[in-house]
Amino acid sequence: MQKQSTGYLFVLPALMVLGMLIAYPVAYTGLLSVTDNAGNYVGLDNFRRVLSARATPTAFWNTLWWVFGSIVLQVVLGVLTAILLNQNFRGRAIVRSVTLVPWVVPGIVAATTWAWMLHTEFGIINYMLTAPALIDEPVGWLTNGRTVMPVMIAINIWKMFPFVAIMVLAGLQAISDDLYEAARIDGASFWEEVLYVMLPQVRTVIVAVTLLLVIWALNHITIIYAITRGGPANRTLITPIQIFRTAFESVQFGQAAALSVMFFAVAIVVVFIYIRTLASNPEETR
Amino acid sequence: MKTLIMKLAMGATASFLAMSAGAWAGEVVWWTPNFNEARARDLVEKFQAANPDVSVKLEITTTDGLPQRILTALQSGAAPDVIDVQHGWVNGYAQNNLVLPVDEVLTDREDYIPASLEYDTWDGKLWGIPYRIETHAVIINKGDYKAAGLDPANPPTTWAAFKDAAKKLTTNGKSGFAITGGGEVGNTIFRSLPFMWMVGGGIISDDGKKVLVNSPETIEAVTFYTDFLKEGMSPASTLENDGTANRRLFIAETVSMYQSGQFDIQSIRKENPNIDIGVIPVPHPDGGKTAAILGGWSFVIPSKAKNPDDAKKLLGFLAEAENQAALTDTFPARVSAMEAERFKDPILQVFKEMLPFGRPVPAHPNWVQISQAYFDGIQRILLGDEDVKTAMDGVAEEIEGLL
Repeated sequence: MQKQSTGYLFVLPALMVLGMLIAYPVAYTGLLSVTDNAGNYVGLDNFRRVLSARATPTAFWNTLWWVFGSIVLQVVLGVLTAILLNQNFRGRAIVRSVTLVPWVVPGIVAATTWAWMLHTEFGIINYMLTAPALIDEPVGWLTNGRTVMPVMIAINIWKMFPFVAIMVLAGLQAISDDLYEAARIDGASFWEEVLYVMLPQVRTVIVAVTLLLVIWALNHITIIYAITRGGPANRTLITPIQIFRTAFESVQFGQAAALSVMFFAVAIVVVFIYIRTLASNPEETR
Repeated sequence: MKTLIMKLAMGATASFLAMSAGAWAGEVVWWTPNFNEARARDLVEKFQAANPDVSVKLEITTTDGLPQRILTALQSGAAPDVIDVQHGWVNGYAQNNLVLPVDEVLTDREDYIPASLEYDTWDGKLWGIPYRIETHAVIINKGDYKAAGLDPANPPTTWAAFKDAAKKLTTNGKSGFAITGGGEVGNTIFRSLPFMWMVGGGIISDDGKKVLVNSPETIEAVTFYTDFLKEGMSPASTLENDGTANRRLFIAETVSMYQSGQFDIQSIRKENPNIDIGVIPVPHPDGGKTAAILGGWSFVIPSKAKNPDDAKKLLGFLAEAENQAALTDTFPARVSAMEAERFKDPILQVFKEMLPFGRPVPAHPNWVQISQAYFDGIQRILLGDEDVKTAMDGVAEEIEGLL
């Protein structure tokens, strides 16, 4: 008993720091969500106001679209890139380094550059499409309600797939040559090797990376905010941006906190379901 | 050994305390935006020469993200003593008790443009000192005018004539008149709200009690504004363009007219000296008067300022006509400061003429959300999602919940 309490004493400083950095903000957000700007208790008023705002459901559906679209393609593209980079070919080291570039570029720099490249009037993308007469008129990538969200997702994929590729590549390199040899003796083709040797071996890596990607996509602000600020007409408004806008542009900290609390609850459920279904070991459940 | 360490520690603490105390006794920390830096440094030197017991520490801010940064500073304990803020922000600070009243500093009220003081007044007290004012006018490419058979010396003054001119100017891939539909909300508020005022509409009433955004007058004005895109006179990129983007398009000679302030003139002259720049008043409806939003900057003293007394001394100095004329990037808020030589450039004439038509943006605690709701509505119209009436009805419903 004596021994145990001494142990607690040793971890106390670390616990206090953690408490200040994690528990306090979370608890304070909860408190903010039921108070107005002057600090008076207002019950569920903030929740009611936020839920009745026209932007809230729009932002919710946009967020789902954004997270789902980003994750699926990031993982697929990332894994394919990793498999490619795992092969032996000349200049592999250079290709590996170049692949990392999007991931290394600071988000705000990348976003601003893309905004310029995509501009209807002086963007290089429209220039490259119109100059050889591939299309007649420049496309309003960021001003057309149908293209703006896919474009945002494409930029997010471009930004993040190198991260997936590098993580999966590390997993692939840890696979013992014996497994490939055994597969080849059994007459496995390259794609069968991918399917039955590589993917099962890096499954845990993919699961962990996907979880990170989901969390990052749910938290995301930089790319969309820097390019469209959630517009036009809220077409790219996702919930984190709505929270940011409510708190720091409209100075409604209570409503922003209420939205955060609800968003937190949804995110927890998503992550929980994900861990429960995908992260559980198939060997055990079988 | 132990006592020695104790003594050292105590000594260090004492000297640290002395240093941090010394750092702000008689020191005024002044946050000013980067475009003011050079002129502000000159004024600080002049002020310190006259007040050797006060030292002013300049900290340079940038306008991007400034409202958030100021708000954080005002609510934390680490506020500077003087901050340059846009007029429209002052009321919000005053209502939340974040700044100090400055009535005692500003003594000659009658010398100020009334709308600028109106901005900084709340509850019968003055909470900021306006020093810079400006309004928009329409900047035109005189060469394009001549090419389209229009006379730049006799520009259109009414909405109908203006639209007609914009139509004529829209040829050979050029856009006649660029409106904004993207970027920060304020860009579009500044360019479209005056049209509502000209016909007696608005977004909300001046007392902040009534929603005007779906009134027939406002709908007429919003239709006038958004039709420039719908009828192809504003560039296809309108929904991603803010004031800066429009200026770039004007410099690239793909836009013949756009609304802006005099701060654009210099960069146009520098980047494309071939353009023969003209300035005309913002067009008004037949038989009506023009209008504009009065914009600009004020000084405030945070209520958590460490040295409010010396801050007031500095503000008193900066509010002198001569110093205001020196600091402002556009026009000074004081009528007498307007006499200075630098405001006599003929290209500024029309901007000067627009000033008396300048009105403050309504002061409402939820103005940011109200203007965001309006801006979303404008974007829905420009996207072609909704017609003007439906969009503005939707906006009205949203604003109703915010009043």
